[in-house]
Amino acid sequence: MPDAGFSVEMIRGVPVVATPEDIDITNAAGLRAALLQSAVHGTGALVVDMTRTQFCDTAGLHALVAAHKRARANGGRVLLVLPDLTILRIFAITGLDRVIEHFPSLEEAVAAGAAGPA
Amino acid sequence: MTAQLDPGSIEERLRAIQSITDAALSRLDDRELLAELLERTREALQTDTAAVLLLDFASGQLIATAAAGLEEEVRQGVRIPVGRGFAGRIAAEHRPVILDHVDHTTVLNPILWARGIQSMMGVPMVAGGRVIGVLHVGSLTPRQFTDPDVELLQLAGDRAAAAVQSVNAQADRQAAVALQRSLVPAVLPAVAGAEMAARYIPGSGGVGGDWYDVFTLPTGELCVVMGDVAGSGLPAAVIMGRMRSALRAYALETRDPAEVLSRLDRKMQHFEPDAMATVLYAIIEPGLERMDISLAGHFPPVIARPGRPAELASVPAGLMIGIADPSPRPVTSLPIPPDALVCFYTDGLIERRGEVIDEGLARLCRAVTVQPVEAACAIVMQELVGSQAARDDIALLMLRRQPGPLTIGG
Repeated sequence: MPDAGFSVEMIRGVPVVATPEDIDITNAAGLRAALLQSAVHGTGALVVDMTRTQFCDTAGLHALVAAHKRARANGGRVLLVLPDLTILRIFAITGLDRVIEHFPSLEEAVAAGAAGPA
Repeated sequence: MTAQLDPGSIEERLRAIQSITDAALSRLDDRELLAELLERTREALQTDTAAVLLLDFASGQLIATAAAGLEEEVRQGVRIPVGRGFAGRIAAEHRPVILDHVDHTTVLNPILWARGIQSMMGVPMVAGGRVIGVLHVGSLTPRQFTDPDVELLQLAGDRAAAAVQSVNAQADRQAAVALQRSLVPAVLPAVAGAEMAARYIPGSGGVGGDWYDVFTLPTGELCVVMGDVAGSGLPAAVIMGRMRSALRAYALETRDPAEVLSRLDRKMQHFEPDAMATVLYAIIEPGLERMDISLAGHFPPVIARPGRPAELASVPAGLMIGIADPSPRPVTSLPIPPDALVCFYTDGLIERRGEVIDEGLARLCRAVTVQPVEAACAIVMQELVGSQAARDDIALLMLRRQPGPLTIGG
């Protein structure tokens, strides 16, 4: 069941999913489903644009990690847009900043995704 | 008896609808509601049997759960695979089915035709957009069920689905709470020279995935674990229980905290590939002078020394549990000065919406002061939680190294 909150937009041939202000237990399942669906199509890059996101709890991280694992299993990759310092801090504490590729702007993430495999 | 839409039967039908939608039903306990609903359904539709089969999502089978006039179905634990037989077809096709002819070709369950049931009608029970079971009625005399009959049965099916959801949610909640309680130490171990206190507060959404553990090793060393499993409720509590036992076992095998976490990670990735958690593991010398600590995506402890503001311990981040990544985990050795107080916690204590995490950490550092641990816990809870109900669950553990023996002055 596609979640109305998570639509996929194509930018320069790269699928981009934008996340909401808060990602928590109430919407993480919808995000996870949307990301897994996108990560399973094609072997290219999936950009998760977290520009608007200011809060992401463990349920949210879980969704991102699930998408990252699925993409990697299919030979693809997940690229995060992470301009927010709070979220970056969470990524640093959990160690995820060293595992999932991330960029300060959407442009940079899309450029990296369009350029092909890292 | 077929339902013709003459004025008499309309009145009868309204009475039937009333008996199924009766508000008095909701004053019953959910389990009683299901039994009463089946009885009323049987009466309203004037059938001989009424039964509920619930879908077991793990096996894909419908399991007979409640029955009126067909109790043997429940007692014998009848199971019907989704997609097969009468009930299986209703669940698979997500729509009502009427059977005018009951025998082994149309019905899988021998109890039904052995019992002499001639006609059957069943509807899917739907909750949250998915089929959770099937409600069916049967007649010992040949009978043509009508559209109004189907509608009435669907009404009962919807009501039953809501009751079952409620029973399941309640059972899961109770199990999660019981499991959570069994997972945190009932009593903290008595360790010479150490004073400890802890708090666990479930979030407003019920039990989450936070836990803590404190145990001693045969060497006399003291081990502290703080963990946070992604997710909530019963599934998170089950994962939490498995992680706790595995970690204790690895703690007996190796003294190196990084190795304990690596083994735990490997175990989780193999047996629970979808689980994810942050874990702090510290092993403290018997004299309490030093602790070796390794973090798997967890916040470092806050340490307060007498006469100085508390600060976040400088411990490098290690990757959380459940991400396939074999890079080595760092271990940090931290001194625990006499009379120092170490505060371990989960993110629920410091995370606030619309606030950078460093603000929450700074607030925690201001609230942690050297004093008896129960009082120190109370102050932290007062300062960081106050009177608001936390959304996420919170675990907090304080350990204070007692001051050395007092020197007796002249």
